[in-house]
Amino acid sequence: MSRIAIISSFAEEVQCAHAIEELRAAQVTDFKSFSPIPSHRIEHAIGRTKSPVRWIVLAGGISGVLTGLAITIGTTYEWNLNAGGKPLLSWPPFIVICFELMILLGGIFGFFGVLGLSGVPTTESQPGYNGRFGEDRFGIVIRCDETEAERLESLMKESGAEEVEREDEAQHS
Amino acid sequence: MAAAPKINAEPTFRDVDRSVLRVMEPAGLAYWLWIAFCFTLVAIAGALWTRQIYSGLGVTGLRQPVMWAVYITNFVFWVGIAHSGTLISAILFVFRTKWRTAVYRAAETMTIFAVATAGLFPLVHLGRVWFFYWLLPYPNQRSLQPDFRSPLVWDAFAVSTYFTISLLFWTMGLIPDIANARESATGWRKTFYSVLAMGWQGTDRQWRHYSMAYLLMAGMATPLVLSVHSVVSWDFAMAQLPGWHSTIFAPYFVAGAIFSGVAMVITLLIPMRRLLGIEDLLTEWHFDNLAKVVLLTSLVVSYSYITESFMSWYSGDPIEQMMFHMRYFGPWGYMFWIMVLCNCLIPLLLFSPRLRVNLTALWIISLFVNVGMWLERFVIIAGSLRVNFEPSQWGTYHPSITEIMITVGSFAWFVGLFSLFCRFLPIISMTELKEGIRWLRKALRMDRARAA
Amino acid sequence: MSSGLQSVRHARASRKPQPVESVAGARMQTVGVAMIVLGIIAFVLALTSGRAAIAWEAYLVNLLFFLGVAQGAVVASASFYLTQAKWGGSTVYRLGEAFAPFLWVGFFLFFGLYFGRTLIFPWVTHPIAQKAAWLNVPFLFTRDAFALGVMAAASFAFIRVSRGEEARAWTIATDDIQLPPHSIRVLAPLVAILFAVVYTLIAFDLVMSLAPVWRSTLFGWYFFAGAFWSALCLLALTAAVLRGRLGEDNLFTNPVVLHDCGKMVFAFSVFWIYLMFAQYIVIWYGDLPVETFFIVQRVHHMPWSPLSVACLVLIWVIPFVVLMSVRTKKSPIILGTVSALGLVGIWLERYVLVVPSLSLDAIPFGPTQFLITIGFLGAFLICSVPGLNRVAQAATSGEPVGDDEE
Repeated sequence: MSRIAIISSFAEEVQCAHAIEELRAAQVTDFKSFSPIPSHRIEHAIGRTKSPVRWIVLAGGISGVLTGLAITIGTTYEWNLNAGGKPLLSWPPFIVICFELMILLGGIFGFFGVLGLSGVPTTESQPGYNGRFGEDRFGIVIRCDETEAERLESLMKESGAEEVEREDEAQHS
Repeated sequence: MAAAPKINAEPTFRDVDRSVLRVMEPAGLAYWLWIAFCFTLVAIAGALWTRQIYSGLGVTGLRQPVMWAVYITNFVFWVGIAHSGTLISAILFVFRTKWRTAVYRAAETMTIFAVATAGLFPLVHLGRVWFFYWLLPYPNQRSLQPDFRSPLVWDAFAVSTYFTISLLFWTMGLIPDIANARESATGWRKTFYSVLAMGWQGTDRQWRHYSMAYLLMAGMATPLVLSVHSVVSWDFAMAQLPGWHSTIFAPYFVAGAIFSGVAMVITLLIPMRRLLGIEDLLTEWHFDNLAKVVLLTSLVVSYSYITESFMSWYSGDPIEQMMFHMRYFGPWGYMFWIMVLCNCLIPLLLFSPRLRVNLTALWIISLFVNVGMWLERFVIIAGSLRVNFEPSQWGTYHPSITEIMITVGSFAWFVGLFSLFCRFLPIISMTELKEGIRWLRKALRMDRARAA
Repeated sequence: MSSGLQSVRHARASRKPQPVESVAGARMQTVGVAMIVLGIIAFVLALTSGRAAIAWEAYLVNLLFFLGVAQGAVVASASFYLTQAKWGGSTVYRLGEAFAPFLWVGFFLFFGLYFGRTLIFPWVTHPIAQKAAWLNVPFLFTRDAFALGVMAAASFAFIRVSRGEEARAWTIATDDIQLPPHSIRVLAPLVAILFAVVYTLIAFDLVMSLAPVWRSTLFGWYFFAGAFWSALCLLALTAAVLRGRLGEDNLFTNPVVLHDCGKMVFAFSVFWIYLMFAQYIVIWYGDLPVETFFIVQRVHHMPWSPLSVACLVLIWVIPFVVLMSVRTKKSPIILGTVSALGLVGIWLERYVLVVPSLSLDAIPFGPTQFLITIGFLGAFLICSVPGLNRVAQAATSGEPVGDDEE
């Protein structure tokens, strides 16, 4: 039996979120949504946990502070110079350096973390992607068995889909 | 007043895309002449810098005791200009401010180019620029290391962190927009945008990580922006020099930075919206709010001037008082009073709601602020140096043609880069404007009600 | 659509709201009066038994603290207008204004300092010639009384308009970018600007002048930022307490509101440490004796250094670490505890700013100072009764809040 993809597009964010809720109620899990804007409604409807990227940022921040401590303390001991009668380990200035490095590494980790987690850069196109999903249409692509297609198509139409198309998976593979 | 509407009274996502993407269509001759003009000035500045590197800092007007003057003023000024971008893109994002969406990309782009301009000045000011890397710690056989107790080293870290983080944050915001531009582009632009968009398609998985990371980046950029100008201010405040050594410097410089930066945003956006035909995306509502930020920060800056003056009088310290006396009534006193006029008095006009939406008046006020803030930095930096503890050492300073042309070149470099960006990448964030489209609709409705 | 909040909002609109008329009443007033009586007894006893200096120290510290909290809260309400905040409907505006009556009490208590001037201001008994033009009794009391009077009058003019129907209608009009009514647009910025000016003056006159040689340009800013933060803590604490006392259907049961309160407490705690660090590092680096002694006395000398550390922990470390997560910001118990500790922290900070200038060698805190503090707290509570009832009504009126889709 061949797998197929059902591509539906919606004009309104609300309808798309609603359709996703319907899908989840119908125990369908193998679907993807596309949207031109980050949508809390859709995210809420899909109901995933919070993105782990925050832990990556935290790790970056901590390693930044540690790097800061290492270079300030390390270089002070390597080049042991009394400047202006200040203590050798002068915490106020070191805090400044640690703070900057915390933000720097936190930001870099976060940026590459989000790229890694969301699978970019990539040259592959997601099956069912349509240019209008970047502009003004919200899309849902469901992958299912042929037998279920009829039912899901009508589900999407009922939820307010403007267009529902069917595509054979074989074309993509 | 609002020009004839180019888009629907109730703009849709489509209308937003069309308005923004139209700006990115191939430009005409006038545009390229303008770019050529800007970069000619940059080339002249580059040539003069080359000569300065070859023959030394003697070609500048820097003489004892004024060894920091126009170059360092430019550095502080440009770092300050950068701050408004981060304020609008990050701080106001954290505060969920509605009017920021249309303005933020332009402001953040300004940040990137302003830091890129600012970063050049410490280098320009170096006698032996080829040793600039001595500021950074690296292993070497003589165990020589930079002194982390020196504020100049903090500065190197702060400014480079600021540039990196702003660049990443800006790139992140651009990715979905470029992916959008990719869809309708043709020819080499299609390839260009496809590469830059990195295959972004806006799936739920991508947005999920994106939104979280964007919020976190904004959250980190917020304290960062406070820290950067604070560190810049500490280049001065750490010294015991009267006029420099003052605890208020950090927040006062940050406020001044945002003040000058938002004024610069206004200076650039008012002509830009006309020239690029995006009057319907940048409405009076947006300018009204920008003007309020200018007014607020102007008040903070005035507060700081008054506190500083009061404290020098209250301290009873004769050297401190002499320094301030010279600042007000000395040979450079006129600069101080022009600065007060530009930074404290003229912005008070913005208390008038009518002037805040009168774009011509607003534009002129913003020019005054730009002048005033540049002068403020000069008065603080060079003005405090020329009157030091030993009257026999007092001197003066005249900028040389090298310094003047490099300053002019820095403006040209900044404006030139910004102009290039306008035509090739989306100067208004389509994604965010669509996200907040109902506010845009309301703002347009309000504008039209006012115009009618 | 079935986004969570939306459905809650619909459900709430369909139910008939039953406003709670009163959360604070006779009992709170009785307790308040008893506290005031205790405070007065302790104060009078101390004055008559030769411990007047100790009593005046406590008087000044508490005046600065409670006045700062009450005023900061009004400024919070004004700044909600300035930022066009709609996240808590009219309730958060009432919350900010709830403590305002203490402003007049504080204004009159300020004159009390006149009777303790020789014990409070070192420059009264040992005048400093260069500073006599600024630091002299008639001028100081005239200018500060005038400043506090104008500040209180402006605050009340603002509150009167803010409680009016027009302003209330604006605060509950969701989904709107219209500006608040004209009179608010005049008075809210006025209150905010006056706050910065007046509290800078108060900081310079009533705190900095206690160590007349010392100076710091940032000190005024630092002082009013602390007062503002303590007010935010009080708002968050009140919200957390009222949440449990107003029945099931009140505004504070909406986690978004507590979350926003928590965010403000978090953000301004970070701002406080920023100002504190900005001041510290400049003085540390400059290393001028005329500046450093003030810090050295408080941070490096026993018995004060543990108290300074405690301030840092209560005002910054705890809020920063605990409130970083969303979950803790939404928890009334955690948010309430952190805010209460924050209030203690700011009180302690005022204490550490004031008292070492007057009695460096020992911490004079004992029953006298404790009871005087209790007395001030009693006055503050009595002043808050009508305001808290207004908060309760607003929070249970079922009015729409929020303008975000989430």
